[in-house]
Amino acid sequence: MRLDHHDAGPAGASEEAEIASGSRAALEPVRVEVSALTKTFGSVRAVDDLSFTVEPGQVTGFLGPNGAGKTTTLRMALGLINPDRGTTTFNGTPYAALTEPTRRVGAVLETAFHPARSGRNHLRVYCRAAGIPLSRADEVLDQVGLGPAGARKAGGYSLGMRQRLGLATALLGDPAVLVLDEPANGLDPEGIQWLRGFLRHLAHDQGRTVLVSSHLLAEVEQTADRVVIVGAGKLVRQGSLEELRSGSVGSVLVRSPQTATLAELLRTDGTTVVTTDGHPDGLTVTGLPVEEVGRRAFAGGIELHELRAHTSGLEEVYFQLTAGSEQYAAGRPATATTGQGAS
Amino acid sequence: MGAVIARLTRAEWTKLLTTRVWIGLLLGSCVLVGGFAALFTGFAGSSGGGPDGQGLPAIGTADFEQLALGVSANATVLFVVLGIIGTTQEYRHRTATPTFLTSPHRGRVVIAKLVAYLVAAIPMALLVIAVDVLVVSVYAGARGAAPSLSGDNLRVLGGAWAALVIYAVIGVGVGALVRNQVGAIVGVLVYLFVVETIVQAIPAINGAYKWLPGGALEAMTATFGQTDLLSAWQGGLVLLSYGLVAAVLGTLLAVRRDVV
Repeated sequence: MRLDHHDAGPAGASEEAEIASGSRAALEPVRVEVSALTKTFGSVRAVDDLSFTVEPGQVTGFLGPNGAGKTTTLRMALGLINPDRGTTTFNGTPYAALTEPTRRVGAVLETAFHPARSGRNHLRVYCRAAGIPLSRADEVLDQVGLGPAGARKAGGYSLGMRQRLGLATALLGDPAVLVLDEPANGLDPEGIQWLRGFLRHLAHDQGRTVLVSSHLLAEVEQTADRVVIVGAGKLVRQGSLEELRSGSVGSVLVRSPQTATLAELLRTDGTTVVTTDGHPDGLTVTGLPVEEVGRRAFAGGIELHELRAHTSGLEEVYFQLTAGSEQYAAGRPATATTGQGAS
Repeated sequence: MGAVIARLTRAEWTKLLTTRVWIGLLLGSCVLVGGFAALFTGFAGSSGGGPDGQGLPAIGTADFEQLALGVSANATVLFVVLGIIGTTQEYRHRTATPTFLTSPHRGRVVIAKLVAYLVAAIPMALLVIAVDVLVVSVYAGARGAAPSLSGDNLRVLGGAWAALVIYAVIGVGVGALVRNQVGAIVGVLVYLFVVETIVQAIPAINGAYKWLPGGALEAMTATFGQTDLLSAWQGGLVLLSYGLVAAVLGTLLAVRRDVV
């Protein structure tokens, strides 16, 4: 790594040539390490002691409900927001200390462009600023499928085209790390399909580090190898999708005419027993394997009409993990409270 | 650092030239200055309608020539707006995010903008001055005597040229400080046209006027009437200081403020 990047010597020239030709040698894998990030806006703790890692060669999904602190975390990682505490490093170096950050890390945080400027000129601005040849603008336009629209004003782009222009901006420096904040917003199903394939290709085939935030599990479920789940600014879980699936809490559904007695038998330390919605004779039991539920019912001489294990899907796990952590949960329907007004 | 700032400066020129803001403001400046030049020349020597019988100096006098060749200074309003838009558009269109991602050292971005707008304003201001000289020379020539481009006349033109460029730089600094485009433009206009006028009108404090941007501008271009002004070069330095103070404060704030 060159230490003195101010001196535009032969090293700089060859690096530019590599980017221009796209024949760059194997990328240096970059590991992103987020450590104890904390940020408070006013009285709201947006991010609370958040630590996780993002590995190269994988797509990592950054999941959490709206307002969980995802965008704030990404902006702190990229030096746009000053954290109250904590650091983010790219192979040990904070973003602001990277030499030529555009060539190490590419980010799509929002669709930011001057509406009167064409897509191609928008990209050329950042080519100039990062010392990348202007021809690179056309290369990335083609890469994201915006080639024919490059000469049009970006203000006239559809939402999906804006997302692609943002992605093109991030790709300008051929970075080893890509950070994308809700990139699927506004993309049509075909665009989402394309984006999934594109991100997987960047990570799996080219060894890049890809971090994609989303508030929808379904969106990253088919793309991500790993997920980092946050709720209310705190880390809820990180791991591979398989780990998340296997760690999911299963439950047992049981129906019996003697629910009260059965519930007494099942209620021990570490178990929960609740009435099943919509079934007056049904119980939902967590913390016990289905065999144990059957054994206890048999031992107690209780008549059973149904007994089955229920493994929750990933969506349900995600929902359980983040339940109650929304910053702005929707209120109960108005009918529940208005009845008391008239007196 | 020098090479990085050179890159960022070229990026600022690309930004400037790939939208039409600069064309609009340059044409506006030319029309404004050409119009003023024509008006002053057309009414030169008339006695004026006021009770004191004061009018515009007659064609051929030194007073008239310096007045007519100094009207370019009126375009400083549009040049300060050019600088303000140059900085505040980054926040208005949210391009501050990719800009600061490309250059995490935000101070360099502000320095690049100052340099870019200083250099860009030089030919733009020259064109405005040329329009002024052309209108006055042709019109006053037709009405009697075209002004010579020498001596004090040249000093007035040079002062107006420098003032236009410095106001563009001040605009960049104010934009970095205020960030809100409409707020910055309205604030500057209110300051120049209301606050400074009030300061001038109140005897107890009007001694301070010569140190204010408007007074400094007048020192660079005005020729008669005002006696309590700085010399032209002092006025230029005072103006430049305002631009730099705004830019330094803007830079310090830009580094601290979160880009959300």
